[in-house]
Amino acid sequence: MSVTANGPTVKGPKRYENPRTPQGKAGKWADERLGLAGGARKQLNKVFPDHWSFMMGEIALYSFIILILTGTFLSFFFDASMTEVRYDGSFIPLNGVEMSRAYASTLHISFDVRGGLILRQIHHWAALLFVASMTIHMFRVFFTGAFRKPRELNWLIGLGLITLGILEGFAGYSLPDDLLSGTGLRIAEAIMQSIPVIGTWVSFLVFGGKFPGNEIIGRLYIVHVLLIPGILAGLIGAHMALLIKQKHTEFPGPGKTEHTVSGERMYPTYSAKAGGFFFLVFAVCAALGGLAQINPVWLYGPYNTAQVSSGSQPDFYIGFLDGSTRLFPSWEIRVWHHTIPAVFWPTVVLPGILFTFAGAYPFLEAKLTKDRAKHNLLQRPRDVPVRTGLGAMAITFYAVLLLSGGNDLIAKAFDISLNAMTWGGRIGLLILPPIAYAFAYLVCLGLQRHDREVLEHGIETGIIRRLPNGEFIEIHQPLGPVDDHGHGLLQYAGTPVPKKMNKLGNPHTSKVRGFFYPVREKAEIEAELAAIEATEQERIREEHRELTD
Amino acid sequence: MTDDNVDSDAADSSTDSEYGFGPAVADTAASTSAPRIRAKRGGRGSLRRKLTSIAILVGALTAVGGGYALLAPSSGAADTAVSAADVEKGRQLYETSCITCHGANLQGVADRGPSLIGVGSASAYFQVSTGRMPAVSQGANNLRKDPKFTEDQTQWIAAYVQSVGGGVQVPAGNLRADDADLAEGGELFRLNCASCHGATAKGAPLSAGKTAPGLNEATDSQMYAAMLSGPGQMPVFSDNQVTPDQKKAIIAYVQSMKAQKDPGGASLDRVGPVTEGLVVGTVGLGLLMVTILWIGRKS
Amino acid sequence: MSQTQHPADEIAVPSADELAEMSTEEAMILGAEADGVHIVHRRERFPIAGTRAERRAERIIALTFLIGFLAAVGFIVVFCGAVPFEWHLPSQGSQDFRYFTPLLGILLAISLAAIGIGVVLWAKWLLPEEEAVQDRHDEPSPVTEQIMTSATLISGFNDLGVGRRSILKSTIGLAVGALTAVPLVALVGAMIKKPNKGPGQSLFHTLYTAGTPLVYADGRRISTDDLLPGGIETVFPGVPGGVKAGDSPTLLIRLRPGQTVRARKGQAGFGFGDYVAFSKICTHAGCPASLYEQQTGRLLCPCHQSQFNVLEDAKPIFGPATRSLPKLPIGVEEVDGKQYFVAKGDFPEAIGPAFWERP
Repeated sequence: MSVTANGPTVKGPKRYENPRTPQGKAGKWADERLGLAGGARKQLNKVFPDHWSFMMGEIALYSFIILILTGTFLSFFFDASMTEVRYDGSFIPLNGVEMSRAYASTLHISFDVRGGLILRQIHHWAALLFVASMTIHMFRVFFTGAFRKPRELNWLIGLGLITLGILEGFAGYSLPDDLLSGTGLRIAEAIMQSIPVIGTWVSFLVFGGKFPGNEIIGRLYIVHVLLIPGILAGLIGAHMALLIKQKHTEFPGPGKTEHTVSGERMYPTYSAKAGGFFFLVFAVCAALGGLAQINPVWLYGPYNTAQVSSGSQPDFYIGFLDGSTRLFPSWEIRVWHHTIPAVFWPTVVLPGILFTFAGAYPFLEAKLTKDRAKHNLLQRPRDVPVRTGLGAMAITFYAVLLLSGGNDLIAKAFDISLNAMTWGGRIGLLILPPIAYAFAYLVCLGLQRHDREVLEHGIETGIIRRLPNGEFIEIHQPLGPVDDHGHGLLQYAGTPVPKKMNKLGNPHTSKVRGFFYPVREKAEIEAELAAIEATEQERIREEHRELTD
Repeated sequence: MTDDNVDSDAADSSTDSEYGFGPAVADTAASTSAPRIRAKRGGRGSLRRKLTSIAILVGALTAVGGGYALLAPSSGAADTAVSAADVEKGRQLYETSCITCHGANLQGVADRGPSLIGVGSASAYFQVSTGRMPAVSQGANNLRKDPKFTEDQTQWIAAYVQSVGGGVQVPAGNLRADDADLAEGGELFRLNCASCHGATAKGAPLSAGKTAPGLNEATDSQMYAAMLSGPGQMPVFSDNQVTPDQKKAIIAYVQSMKAQKDPGGASLDRVGPVTEGLVVGTVGLGLLMVTILWIGRKS
Repeated sequence: MSQTQHPADEIAVPSADELAEMSTEEAMILGAEADGVHIVHRRERFPIAGTRAERRAERIIALTFLIGFLAAVGFIVVFCGAVPFEWHLPSQGSQDFRYFTPLLGILLAISLAAIGIGVVLWAKWLLPEEEAVQDRHDEPSPVTEQIMTSATLISGFNDLGVGRRSILKSTIGLAVGALTAVPLVALVGAMIKKPNKGPGQSLFHTLYTAGTPLVYADGRRISTDDLLPGGIETVFPGVPGGVKAGDSPTLLIRLRPGQTVRARKGQAGFGFGDYVAFSKICTHAGCPASLYEQQTGRLLCPCHQSQFNVLEDAKPIFGPATRSLPKLPIGVEEVDGKQYFVAKGDFPEAIGPAFWERP
């Protein structure tokens, strides 16, 4: 039925059974075969809430698509082989140098394939953006409590996506077989070897023998282009399917309930915005890919086990592990002729603990708060100070590790002793996170208190009045109905509270918007406030009636 | 200067002497002018030295009445450009600017400066031409600064130090191999130099506040002198170990790398993943945050 | 809000004829209602079509698409040869190729951004202002559904007789369990390599043996004349494959006058004169530890900043490394009156990062 209804105009009877327009015919053709008219309309009408912070995950999704597009191009030219060749391409400073085919083909892409360099660079920038956007998306979900029941599963899938994204990135970073990435693989080998009992077995299995062997690049290639992308695509599909099934969370506010979701329909408004946003994400990647040189492997040279460059760093998403490895003290356990090397703790145990804790967090929080309810409305970070504090603590911990991953460059840039940087990192890692917790906690309480004050006393108008007894008072504009003492009746509900007069009633500013709350039109808010007031009055009247009955 | 190769005898003779130059000097090369200009100036300097020697020769020979002396500069002997006059000028500069710390006979002064006997003109040239000497203060990480002396004056001081104490010398002439040797230079650079100066020659910190400098400003002769003399904490690379041709190949590689324009856009100072991460976090995510704020805004 | 639950089946869907009489918008709204989507606010941005403001908005959006078109054409023109992209050395003339990639990037970014901005503006300026509220329907299935579904499951279970036929249960468990292990065993079994087995595969031994010559990376032998005091050189075992092997790189150091190495127990004769040789592979994570400070005798690893003091037998003095760099026993052999370095044996311990089997 809706097939014909979608046509421009429906005039004569029975026209809907024999559509004449091409679109109508196509629709009928499809529906006779798939019978999807009803189901498709349901998806077209799906409602998405509109808030800027809900678009971070989209950046990750679009980066993934860009990675597949550019990666496919690169795969036509890349040769994942460790066979030694003598380079004879355009880049003369490496002419005649022995190198693997992997490195030689990367140079070929960079210098001899027309447009190869920009696609390589877009691919690498998109990879950094992929992990970076997943990270900030995860923090958004954490701070707003979007991981709570019923979305714990999606939190876990998201965590899996980040983990795989990091692994995928590392595999890609290693493929060119240049001096920088080879150094990274050498460290990866040391990390594998450090695993107690099975370490050497794992390392020999992965590398096909002693480092570096002849296998690793070919294996990483298939992991990078097939295995992990396949799992990533599957998990992204599951992530989106759950999102569609459970529908998006939204911030509390007038008119928002746990049982509904409000915003724009998928078709046409939301899909237009999201589609436009895909182009904009791609535009940022293209601009970076063209204007900022990334991973210039020709300057690093081919990998050689005897060579190293100072300032060798992994891509930023591994940086926190590099930092933890630099900061960890020289503690090695030696018992009964066996060794657990120092490298094991900061590179295997620490990320294991961090990711396990992150995965367990939704369940821990539910257990500790005894909150078993479903939540479709988000919380503002200030309303859950403990969680916000924990998040601030985690970010600080991560930031200290990340900075320590580049501590040699910081030492060089700011002329600080390297040893001082290491010690600063070690001490900072222990004392800064608790400070961040306390600070975030107090800020949350302060913001809450201010909201409550405004609800109770109204907004400061800046108008000072002198009372007959000579006392000066400032006039406050109440936000809603007041009781006999002039105290506001509106309850604190974890929703944004206007703090300034010009957020209220100035006819020229018709919108109320801000960084941390959804965009609402003033008129709507007023209407909804009036509605709430009416319901409230109605409820009070009901109660009176019940009491008097 | 002299065309003598630094043979192993010369090397052995220097083994007894104090090696490093400044007190706990911790770093090496870098200079103020572009390499090509500097190289030209080096050429002009040697021309001037030649002219000076011509003048001396002309003076001496006209006294004898031999007009053929004008042919002298074309002879190989002109390469040995160290004249007594240069050494004398060097001595005068030494006695005004260096003597307080290094002593009247280069023997060094306790707690002020090390002995310069045996360090050679290479070391003196490196330290003075990169502005590290005269040092501002003792002990600290002695970094590159604007040189106090002109190229000629530096050569004179180096000649004087060489004449008194002997040691390694930077050969005259072109110190840069041609493009055919870039690949060899690159391999040697990555094996011997990149571990401290970095694959892109940007420098790196060493232990406890010392640094290996970036080679942005280093000239051909400064790099050659540094390899030969091992200033500060830098290891020495003798001519037996890294032959003069190999040194020239390394220099050619570094100077070519510095002159190569980046094909992929802004270089981000060729630092690598750390700046790349910084860019993606600030520019990349920053632009996209602005974008989502714009899209999320009601119109 | 007031309209809390509107299950789809509660909507009385009009007949096809009635629907056909409706306007497109009415039918759309009815369809949305049937999907539990309530359009609570819907207003045309430009209620009167064809106003100047509307035409201006349209023109601006059209302009962005036009920019997108031009930039894409520009990309194709640049790509197809308007700007050179072949790399060459500074000495070979102009380095104009450096504009190729940035130009492509800018043009592609402009094209993409213009299209993206145009589409978003289309949505923001021209699409009707709309606020829709959708019922979530995320409550658990009704109890009746739950009972019937569990009955279906249990009935199937009973039909299979899982409870009674325990022998079938255990045998199929065995079969499927073993079969599940097959791909895992196949993969691991195909890839697995016994550590330390086979030539050149031991983590405890390198290619150095008594009498192995020490050579430069290019294969030349290294003599006692080669290094000056304060000099270092990366040397390799002069055997086939020696320069390539991952455990070969060794740092030969000639100490400065006055510097001595305090040797470990049993390693007194490992140096030769003022020469000492240590494995270049860091004992922490395997990077070449090669930032040598000739005056302090410190050796720094660039990856995690472990610092070793060569004068104390390459003992770790700072950073995460726990073990000294292994020391190579070296001696000389005389050829044509020159003394060339040879190894007097292998490293006395495993080189490189530590592992479980290492004492």
